[in-house]
Amino acid sequence: MRSRVEDREFDVDVEGSGAGGGPVAKELAPLSREGVRIAVLEWGPRLRDVDYTGRELEMAERLYRDGGGFFTRDRTVTLAMGRAYGGSTVVYTGTSLPIQGRTVARWAVPGLDHRDLGERSEKYLRENGAHLLEEGELNENNRLFREGCRSLGYHAAQFPVNVRGCRGTSLCNLGCPNGAKQGTHRVQLPEAERQGVAVVTGCRVERIEEGACHVTVENPGFGLPSPWPPGRYRVRTRLIVVAAGAIESPALLARSRLPVRLPALGRYLTLHPALILVAQHDRPVVGSRGHPKSFICDAFAESHRFLLETCMYFPFVTARNLIGFGADHAAMMGAMDRLQMILALALDPALPENRVTVDRHGEPVVRYRLGDEVLDSLHQAMLASARIFFAAGARRVHAPAGARFFLVPADAARLEEAIPRRRVRPGRISITAAHLMGGCRMGEDPSDSVTDAWGQVHGLDWLYVADASLFPRAAEVNPYITVMALADRVAQQVRERLARA
Amino acid sequence: MSVLGPRGQAFLWALTLRLVPPAAGAPPEERARSLAVADGALGRRPPAVRRQVRLFLLALRWLPALGYLRPLDRLGGPAQDRVLAWFQDSPLTPLALGLWGVKGLVYMGWYGRPELGERIGFRPVLSGDEKSRGG
Ligand SMILES: Cc1cc2nc3c(=O)[nH]c(=O)nc-3n(C[C@H](O)[C@H](O)[C@H](O)COP(=O)(O)OP(=O)(O)OC[C@H]3O[C@@H](n4cnc5c(N)ncnc54)[C@H](O)[C@@H]3O)c2cc1C
Ligand code: SF4
Repeated sequence: MRSRVEDREFDVDVEGSGAGGGPVAKELAPLSREGVRIAVLEWGPRLRDVDYTGRELEMAERLYRDGGGFFTRDRTVTLAMGRAYGGSTVVYTGTSLPIQGRTVARWAVPGLDHRDLGERSEKYLRENGAHLLEEGELNENNRLFREGCRSLGYHAAQFPVNVRGCRGTSLCNLGCPNGAKQGTHRVQLPEAERQGVAVVTGCRVERIEEGACHVTVENPGFGLPSPWPPGRYRVRTRLIVVAAGAIESPALLARSRLPVRLPALGRYLTLHPALILVAQHDRPVVGSRGHPKSFICDAFAESHRFLLETCMYFPFVTARNLIGFGADHAAMMGAMDRLQMILALALDPALPENRVTVDRHGEPVVRYRLGDEVLDSLHQAMLASARIFFAAGARRVHAPAGARFFLVPADAARLEEAIPRRRVRPGRISITAAHLMGGCRMGEDPSDSVTDAWGQVHGLDWLYVADASLFPRAAEVNPYITVMALADRVAQQVRERLARA
Repeated sequence: MSVLGPRGQAFLWALTLRLVPPAAGAPPEERARSLAVADGALGRRPPAVRRQVRLFLLALRWLPALGYLRPLDRLGGPAQDRVLAWFQDSPLTPLALGLWGVKGLVYMGWYGRPELGERIGFRPVLSGDEKSRGG
């Protein structure tokens, strides 16, 4: 790599190209025609169609930060973050749910109301082609979930997914090999590029300051090479929009040693800590055919603070999430074509001690404690899921905190005993998170927030944040549509700012 | 380059046989491929993680010697399972987490190989299913 630092110059730099960065780029793109130079600087690679092989480990290495093995500091939670042209929208499942009014009320950010977020969410639902799958397109895993919930009287609803020409390969979390899933790599970024926005992949932003950011360009050895030769660059710019996600955005701000005091930086991180729950049927439940996700059960969102959704995972991830080993584990794994799966998401509180800091190299360190409230939610989620599995006809259920590897229908009557709360311990059960939120939370008061309600960092009129790190608390639904709606507000603010200038 | 080396790999395979019983019937090339996948993945992790895994494998092998006077892989199958279950349920979070990490490595090597899919009923069709054309 060259040791000389090269210069580049733009008017606006958008750092990150996921659910936040993509919409900002697209919304600002028309300004290119007026001579405003806009760049998206994206750490991850831009894959070609042939790079989507559907192979679990290969795609995880290509599309996820640390191959999907990024842990919290105490290693009790695995964090999944996409790293690509399109960010996590390349690997998300496409569940397209707008935020609820009660959540926006809990957020209590002056200047941010549900009507505004709702209208912007609608715009992105349309733009991304979100719609309900037809009955004939629902696979058995989804139908069983709906049946189980119905027979128990649990409210379950179908939600829209953002696919166009989906061929039901169920590989969404490894990147869609058919270009059907409408992430920012399919919708917002190509549109921005058509209008003149430059997207530079393989480009990690190391540090920012007023008037410039400092980046390193590398090629990963797959996908398209970066449009800039490998090396270090100083990118001069008037405005910076950081959209590097809830872990990397606070880390980037922290390692940049900004000339303002931001005591809330990195704090109030929420994760929707999740469990993958699995049950075995006697008859085929071919989760690897059909779109994986269409139903949500929100019956316990207020009472026990968790959601249940349909899901489908791949062999390695499934194996890692079953607690136990040996013959029982192998028996479960040997029946991948008869497994029903449920994803349980805890709606975790926003606490200042749950935070992103940086180590001496400037790399993010995530301190997150799984408190009793969250563990209680996960326990209740296991109980409810076991009931749904049995009600749907499962013969054997695996609860990660179960007293035995397999629970059988006879256990259904005494689930509290069969899944004791005391076995729900951090480190003992496998907890993952893909909904990473907060760290640069919006608010009015700089003592407990990082940006204002429009994403401008307190005290720095050249710096904006436009991604999931803006969330002041958990989204309480799958977050990407809300990330887009917030990014849309930030883009509007940046446009107005440029017009004033 | 191998992170675990021949001895580390031999121990990882001994663990594989306890964690994934069907691995007992694996021909040598399947064993080699499984270990290569796990070792290769470890090689792509940061040096600190590699160190931690190597250290934990050492502890897992030799801690049982305090009670049984033999390393883990020289115990009978049921005794090995008891030790592994003890680690898994340990109230000491680092021990439970360590075992979870090692299990992850073993499962990655075994279940992370695409060629296994057919055997375990995981058969996604890359170009899709004519029947299910959602959207
Ligand atoms: C497996 C998975 C499934 C999901 N499924 C759903 C779903 O179905 N529905 C839903 O609503 N949500 C889902 N989510 C969550 C959703 O994808 C995220 O909430 C959303 O994408 C967050 O947007 P973001 O812009 O904050 O971050 P991201 O979309 O992650 O984008 C951040 C981008 O910034 C880049 N970046 C990071 N650091 C730097 C740097 N220093 N320099 C330059 N670039 C950098 C990253 O490479 C990445 O591309 C899922 C997430 C995952 C991981
Ligand atoms: S299920 Fe549909 S959207 Fe998901 S990977 Fe397959 S074709 Fe793509």
